Amino acid sequence: MTFQKKYYIYSTFLFLTLILPQISHAEIRIVTTTEDIASITTEIGRDKVEVSAITRGYQDTHYIEAKPSYMVKANRADLLIYQGLELEVGWLPLLIRGARNPQIMPGGKGLLNLSSAIVPLEVPVGEVDRSRGDIHPLGNPHYHLDPENGLMMASAIAEKLKELDPENAAGYTDNWNRFRQKLESKIIEWQSRLDAIPDKRVVTYHTTWSYFLHRFGIQSVGTLEDKPGVPPSPRHLADLANKMNREKIKIILAANYHETRFSELLASKTGARILSMPVSTGGVDEVTDYIGLFDYLVERMAAAFQSGEKS
Amino acid sequence: MMRTRYLIPIGILFLNCLSPAYAEETELVKEKIRKLEQRLEKLEKEKNTDTQAPTASRNTVSESSTSTGVSRAFNPAISANVLALGTYVDQGNADQTRETRTGMRIQEVELVFSSWVDTWLKADLVLSIEGTQTVNVEETIAEILVAQNLSFKAGKFYSSFGKHNRLHTHAFPFIDPPLVNEDIFGEEGLNEIGVGLSYLLPLPYFSELSFQFLEGSNDVQFNGKLNDDFLYLANLKNLWDLTDDVTLEAGGSFATGKNDVNSRDYDTTYVSGADLTFKWKPGGRERHQTLIWQTEFLTSSRDQVRAGAYTMVQYQFARSWWIQGRYDFSTIKENVTEEKNRWSTLLAFAPSEFSAFRLQYNRLNHFTTDEHQVFLQLNYTFGSHPAHNY
Repeated sequence: MTFQKKYYIYSTFLFLTLILPQISHAEIRIVTTTEDIASITTEIGRDKVEVSAITRGYQDTHYIEAKPSYMVKANRADLLIYQGLELEVGWLPLLIRGARNPQIMPGGKGLLNLSSAIVPLEVPVGEVDRSRGDIHPLGNPHYHLDPENGLMMASAIAEKLKELDPENAAGYTDNWNRFRQKLESKIIEWQSRLDAIPDKRVVTYHTTWSYFLHRFGIQSVGTLEDKPGVPPSPRHLADLANKMNREKIKIILAANYHETRFSELLASKTGARILSMPVSTGGVDEVTDYIGLFDYLVERMAAAFQSGEKS
Repeated sequence: MMRTRYLIPIGILFLNCLSPAYAEETELVKEKIRKLEQRLEKLEKEKNTDTQAPTASRNTVSESSTSTGVSRAFNPAISANVLALGTYVDQGNADQTRETRTGMRIQEVELVFSSWVDTWLKADLVLSIEGTQTVNVEETIAEILVAQNLSFKAGKFYSSFGKHNRLHTHAFPFIDPPLVNEDIFGEEGLNEIGVGLSYLLPLPYFSELSFQFLEGSNDVQFNGKLNDDFLYLANLKNLWDLTDDVTLEAGGSFATGKNDVNSRDYDTTYVSGADLTFKWKPGGRERHQTLIWQTEFLTSSRDQVRAGAYTMVQYQFARSWWIQGRYDFSTIKENVTEEKNRWSTLLAFAPSEFSAFRLQYNRLNHFTTDEHQVFLQLNYTFGSHPAHNY
């Protein structure tokens, strides 16, 4: 091979690697912060969108760092959808800045904060400071765990897609209606599954589950963490164990990314069962989409309550 | 008459109850009611969000005006960091002018203000109070996105040379900077007034190219004699995801500019550097563990040629605990009396992401003398939530 030929091959290769990523796709390129948002977005956008999530479902979204590779992802996005309520506050601002993509800059068309579509729970009242632990001043950010909020999220996503891609608006509306019907009938199914259980009381690790418990009428008797984000004190655990024994609470509900030693300690003192469950789509291998997440959670919850009733 | 009017529907209802279809129908009715309730709740939510959206301002806007009508809604995000330091060294305790000497001090207080100026400009201002006396503008940066992938900044900032030089004192992995950074750029690092462009190369992995055009006032290396003697700096930073949890970063830096040496042979300074970092940072249940191995090499040439490197390992073994080790050295060519090397180890307890106690031990070898140093630092940040740099 002559030098010239080689040179041409190399330069063509270089040109392609530089240019190929820039060639625009027909689809809207969407980056989401969580796999739940990615799942809902895929339902609404279908073949008109290309969706990728930044965090994995088994990760704790609050503790992610702004990895430069995330910036590369966001650099090519037409739309960045995030959960908000300060869930991603530790890394999203750096990510957006590092992405150098005018579309997704604050105030841009391509930035969607889904929390404006829902009504948050547990908005702290009164003075807010960090002596109260890792609190979220705008309210509990784990709102996707109420499937009714899933409907609101989907509706906001559909609206945004229609705005960005008016040509395919009818398709997005159809997809939204289809998703809504599917999710609504599922909600009825999940509710009746859990309604059939008379005594639904649990202890949770963190306030992660508030929306889920609220929707399905499950009562949380206490949290392992005395203050959010702070490891519990032995005193608090002892008090909680007494309370659980007194009130016969048989289930400790924890996200599967939380450390297990405190739950195990409490379980050993109370004989309660630890339900370590995924908080997001992709949190375990079986859960591959948003609806699948609730199928999994509801089934596991119901089974745990029923086995408790028998014993 | 009245009675019979009521009796008829009651009778029908009664008959209905007897019918076998009753159970099924109530289920249907229940379902319908549930659906209607949900729709109502949804509508109420929609109504609420319409009048109150967007969420971010929901809580603040109403409370943002004082009784005098002065708006606080656009105040920048403010945070403060304090470094309190206790030091023990086993050498030179009679010398009060030493930089590292036994005693207690406030190492630094830093105030950070951050906000959008308008729809274009993002501003960051970092004021540092070294000790408790003088206030310095450590950084003041106005940044703008010029075009897709290309950002521009102007002001005073830590220049993008290598890894360690970009860090503020409170973010140093050890309490003191590496010997080579201190010897080549001085105590304050390469912190200059100027402008910079940074371009995210359109590659499948992270690759950022930065050019900076700076005043060149650093008096250890540059500080050219003429007013139009500037400093030119280039940096390439690459990062690859090896797995979801492991990254490899490699970078190279180069800076050149006139200096104040009175000899035509040596009146230009060249500084170059290379860095390599492995980081394991799982995001799942093991998220309270981290392993970082970072190595950086720097060399400068003017009338003297300096070179040095550090290599360090940081391991977070439990939620609040870090253990770290470092070896670093700094040399001047053909001058053995200036040779320094150091072994360091550090144990950190960080009860939250906002505070840390750090205990560090150094064995510093300077030519023929050995010095033992012990530091205990309290490092805390309050105010707006700081971002976690990767």
